[in-house]
Amino acid sequence: MRKLITLTLLAGFVFAASVAFAHTPLCSCFDNGDGTVLCEGGFSDGSSAAGVKMYVKDSSGNVLLEGQMSENSDFEFDKPEGDYTVYFDAGEGHVIEIPGSKIVE
Amino acid sequence: MKRIILALCLTLLTAVPAFAHFQMVYTPEIALDEGTDLNMKLVFTHPFEAGHTMDMAPLQEFYVISQRGEAAEPKKTDLMEYVEKITWTSLTNSGAAYEAKLPRKVVRSMGDYVFVAVPGPYYEEEEEIYIQQITKTVLNVGGLPGNWADPVGLPTEIVPLDKPYANWTGGVFRGVVLSEGKPVANADLEVEFMNHPPVEGKNEFQKEAIAEAPHDAFVTMGIKTNDRGEFTVGIPHAGWWGLCALGTGPQTEHEGKELSQDAVLWFKAVDMK
Repeated sequence: MRKLITLTLLAGFVFAASVAFAHTPLCSCFDNGDGTVLCEGGFSDGSSAAGVKMYVKDSSGNVLLEGQMSENSDFEFDKPEGDYTVYFDAGEGHVIEIPGSKIVE
Repeated sequence: MKRIILALCLTLLTAVPAFAHFQMVYTPEIALDEGTDLNMKLVFTHPFEAGHTMDMAPLQEFYVISQRGEAAEPKKTDLMEYVEKITWTSLTNSGAAYEAKLPRKVVRSMGDYVFVAVPGPYYEEEEEIYIQQITKTVLNVGGLPGNWADPVGLPTEIVPLDKPYANWTGGVFRGVVLSEGKPVANADLEVEFMNHPPVEGKNEFQKEAIAEAPHDAFVTMGIKTNDRGEFTVGIPHAGWWGLCALGTGPQTEHEGKELSQDAVLWFKAVDMK
């Protein structure tokens, strides 16, 4: 009986964990036209992206900037010189890469 | 014989189907990957038949309430500065309508955009009544939801219970009819399919119909809300569907005549491929 309860509990945990990951990370960036870039984040279930780690890397993968999504699920940074890529990193399987070339006004 | 002809004529006259009026707030796509310039058409017409288009009275209000994520605050943006008068051509006539060319900055962020159009009351001569259809169209950018399910605070409105921009053909669409914020039990709703979608880049309906109605009752379908003001409609075809709750607004008179203050909501369905 105890085994069954443990099993049920385990199954419950696994189920709950999979539900928690049923959302999709979303991130969108714009060039503000004044030398800054604004990125907005969130999840497909409407939940906030506050605290999600943000990285800006150059073409060789060096981290130029790092920070996190604000309380309003946005992240603003000074546009780097040359090629760059923005990473929205909400954990394994929840990383979004946005190349700077796709970030327009 | 004369009597028979007269009787026939009378029957034909009274048999003229009462196609439903629908205020359109239209743009081809409402589930967008990213923000873009939008061209919205505001037309007062009969969408199933692409029939008689009414001359819209001057537009009183056109705005959008947007929200990025469920925890965010809704933001209201007035859009009247982008509104211009146009002439809309239906299959039977042309009528005064409006369009709004919205720059990308208006719909740049991810989230939901609830567009609201409040036209001035339209005088329907045949029925000697005024009709005012307060209309909502909900658009999404980037898949991040926001305020799609929240009432906007209109005198009367249809509040969706399903995302109006994410529906598969063959599913159902549900909503609640509100009058001054309270559910309206037993409200009459008209449901109509946009059977001749607008031609892109032009101010006219396409000539070819998508579907054929086997009977006039299928042109404008009638449903009623339950005792909690809720309704459900099935979605048999991809495209645009209009819902209109008749006379659910608190205002019942305009310039000494009866006013039907209606709530309109549009939703879109796509085929599962």
